[in-house]
Amino acid sequence: MTNDFEARLQQAKGAIATLRDAIGKVIVGQSDVVDQVMWGLAAGGHVLLEGAPGLGKTLLVRTLAQCLDLRFSRIQFTPDLMPSDVVGTNVLVMDAAQRAAGSMFQVQRGPIFGQIVLADEINRATPKTQSALLEAMAEHAVTIAGQRLPLEEPFFVLATENPIEMEGTYPLPEAQLDRFLLKVVVPNPSEDELCEVLVRTTGRAPAASPRVMDRDAVMMLRGMCRDVAVAEPVLRYAARLVRASDPTTGEAPETVKRALRYGAGVRGAQSLVLAAKAVALCEGRANVSFEDIQRVARPALRHRLIRSFEGEAEGTTTDTVIEALLGTVGTRPASVEAERPRGAK
Amino acid sequence: MKAMPERERFHPLFEHWARAVRTRLLARRVLTGLTLGLVLAVIPAVLAWRTRHGALRPLCTLLGVVGAAAGVVVARRKRWSDQDVALWLDDRLETEEAITTAVELRNQAEDDDEARAVVVSTAAAALAAGDEKRARPSIFRPLHALAPLAVVGFVLVLRSPLPATPVVAQAPGEARVQLAQVEGLKKVAQLGQATARDEAQKERLEKIAKDAEKLRADLEKGLEKREALDRIAKLRDQIAAERLTLGEGEKRAGLEAAVSKLEQNDATKEAAKALGDHDLEKMDREMERIANAREKRDRDAAKRALEDAAAAAKANGAPDVGKALDQEKKSLEERERRAEALRDLEKAMEDSGLASPDQRKEAESLDRKGSDEAARKLADSMGKALEKLSPEERKRLADKLKQQSGKGGTQSSPEDLKDLADDLSTPEGQKKLEDELKDLAKEDDESPESKGQQGLDDAQEGADGAEGDINGQGQEGQGPGKGGSKVPIPLPGPGSGPGDGNGNGGNGHGSGNGEGNASGDGTGGTGHHHDTGTGPHDGRTEVVGAASTLKSRAHGAMNRAPGMPGTTTGWTPGKSGATANVQGTGALGAAGPSEVDGVDHSDVPEEYREQVRQYFQP
Repeated sequence: MTNDFEARLQQAKGAIATLRDAIGKVIVGQSDVVDQVMWGLAAGGHVLLEGAPGLGKTLLVRTLAQCLDLRFSRIQFTPDLMPSDVVGTNVLVMDAAQRAAGSMFQVQRGPIFGQIVLADEINRATPKTQSALLEAMAEHAVTIAGQRLPLEEPFFVLATENPIEMEGTYPLPEAQLDRFLLKVVVPNPSEDELCEVLVRTTGRAPAASPRVMDRDAVMMLRGMCRDVAVAEPVLRYAARLVRASDPTTGEAPETVKRALRYGAGVRGAQSLVLAAKAVALCEGRANVSFEDIQRVARPALRHRLIRSFEGEAEGTTTDTVIEALLGTVGTRPASVEAERPRGAK
Repeated sequence: MKAMPERERFHPLFEHWARAVRTRLLARRVLTGLTLGLVLAVIPAVLAWRTRHGALRPLCTLLGVVGAAAGVVVARRKRWSDQDVALWLDDRLETEEAITTAVELRNQAEDDDEARAVVVSTAAAALAAGDEKRARPSIFRPLHALAPLAVVGFVLVLRSPLPATPVVAQAPGEARVQLAQVEGLKKVAQLGQATARDEAQKERLEKIAKDAEKLRADLEKGLEKREALDRIAKLRDQIAAERLTLGEGEKRAGLEAAVSKLEQNDATKEAAKALGDHDLEKMDREMERIANAREKRDRDAAKRALEDAAAAAKANGAPDVGKALDQEKKSLEERERRAEALRDLEKAMEDSGLASPDQRKEAESLDRKGSDEAARKLADSMGKALEKLSPEERKRLADKLKQQSGKGGTQSSPEDLKDLADDLSTPEGQKKLEDELKDLAKEDDESPESKGQQGLDDAQEGADGAEGDINGQGQEGQGPGKGGSKVPIPLPGPGSGPGDGNGNGGNGHGSGNGEGNASGDGTGGTGHHHDTGTGPHDGRTEVVGAASTLKSRAHGAMNRAPGMPGTTTGWTPGKSGATANVQGTGALGAAGPSEVDGVDHSDVPEEYREQVRQYFQP
């Protein structure tokens, strides 16, 4: 059995690598973004992508959907988008035969019933519409006219936000941001990357990405992700990080006390561990390390930390706070930490 | 089934690694404790060295042992758990917490969780392939470099000789002295048996003797030097006071009247001088000479002079002096009778042809010296001669004595001679005469006052010697001065007889009673018959070496009475060590170049010396 699991581990690692490569053929650079999206996929959570327009957020999601043999749907959020436009609605049956059979109405499923759902510019929709999506994200089911309809697994939502055009938008409230496992910040491309982008996008249209992973593979990934072992010291490290993000505790560093109003909370700790497991899985390991926790700290916690007025006034970002947390909270017990050579990470 | 071997493989591997890690941590902590202990041990070792407790230095190494033991205790208290060891190994082997996870999950059934089995397998593989050198905790820390330094320092402290004991300056008077069998104080203690003038003096002498005995006992136990010197000084003052009571103060007039009477007679001039100097011993010797002299006229004149002097003393308020003079007269008469008898008997034996050569020699000695000793020797000699007489010779001698008594011109009276002849006629009488002659040979004719004075002299001498012992001198006493050389400041020592050299000096105003030292020509006389000293009595002194330390001491007391009649009062500059009889050549307190340590080591405080210096300056 050990061989079987180990084989599956290696298989998962290979599949992830293949998927990454397939996406890399379309998306120039953005390797961290791609990795983080992979983590979200493997962990079974949803990912919020934030970046300036034209950085390839939508392309990434579309490419991911093409590579995975999953049903893809896109929802372009606009201010006039209604919840029913997202989840679906009951419509009147036009076919007489069906009416005669007794069905006056039938459910018209909305775009939410895809397996990979791209919620583009989610912050442009009204809170009501946003809540319809977020409910589906949380419960993996929608209710239409009193009828509960489960969403088909794997259900993976990738939402995008444009941080530039904030006028006329409805920023997601913190409670709803919490639904996203990771918040990935899409950086601007480097010069080389931009050149590559120009080459690819101003020339012939690229071929469609091949499907490299099917639904079963994705489900297996998600199942294996949950099986990845976590040692107590690693769990305690994640817990210490989250506790240190709470400005009311004694473990919080000065930066946290000054810049934050609320810490990451329990969901933040869950996200940390789950995402770290996904990282370990993607690397073919059956256990989580301290480094895994540190790698997922930013994407897992940046959208869960609520800044204080002072933090906002000073312009202290949550990433800065997370940096301070990682520098303050030790990974190992003091006795073991004292034995480490100087300069060791 | 591979799962079982994997779990079994991981356990021993991890235990091996854990043991290695823990052992090295233990060794490091023990070494740290040992280092700290050794470093700390140097401090008390240095302190022990400084305080000259050399035996404690090696014991300080125990601190090192204690430190090592403390290191063991700390190591056991801070013993790493399996989880800590696993975390350490994960960090050093870069196994991304696989070992830690495997340690935590190792006991769980692998059938339950496939992932855990993979983790254990991965951890086992990592441990098996791990680099032990990289994964071992280091034993040595920079702090441990102090250990060899501490050892070196410790060895240096151990081998270094202890510092010299500092000489702590003692406050004045803190010096203690402990002496056993101070001979000088024995002489003072004998004052209790000395002849006293009266009961009051006897009580005083007994008290002095008792104090001396007590001081002697205290010196054996140990006494402060200052206190010892103070008590000695008191004893000396008391002894001097006993010597000076004769004609002191209000009795001075009586003494001077007696002296004046004695001076009027040529025969007793010297005796008068001795009496004036309160030297009854010398006076007694003078009387002895007069009593043993052949000339009867001198003896009679002396007797008359003594009578007149005694009367004058009593009339002028010095009954003690008068009593002493009466005793002297009595003693003179007894001596006279003895000498007369001896001479007459000797003449008879000489005329009878029965005198031995020794007897003749002793008779000449008696004529020449006029001393009691000569008389005793003559008596002894004649006694021995009489023993050997045959009856015929005895009869012949008796007849001769009868002839002498009839003729006259003998020393003894005719009746005495007749009695002597009758004694010789019978054997019993001869035996009686022989016994009487033997008694004469042992007789002590000295006057009680003289004996008492001699006892006080001996006690004074003993007190001086004791003071010298206390001051750490203890040198042999110097004899009388050597002719022609400058005599250094004398030491009062046992057995030194009083010098009787006469110097030419001005008349001093003092009435000192010190031990004189002649600095003029001529040799000093032999010591007095009371002299029991073991030093040379030939009138020479030993050369004073530069290494010797000599001191002088003035015993003089201030005489507040008016000057003696017929004397000239004047001042003369004195010299250290000199008496009033010697003309001084320098100011008191200034030592000449050839005088050794004269003033520098004087016990007389500077202010006193200044006072005395002014006293002797004109």
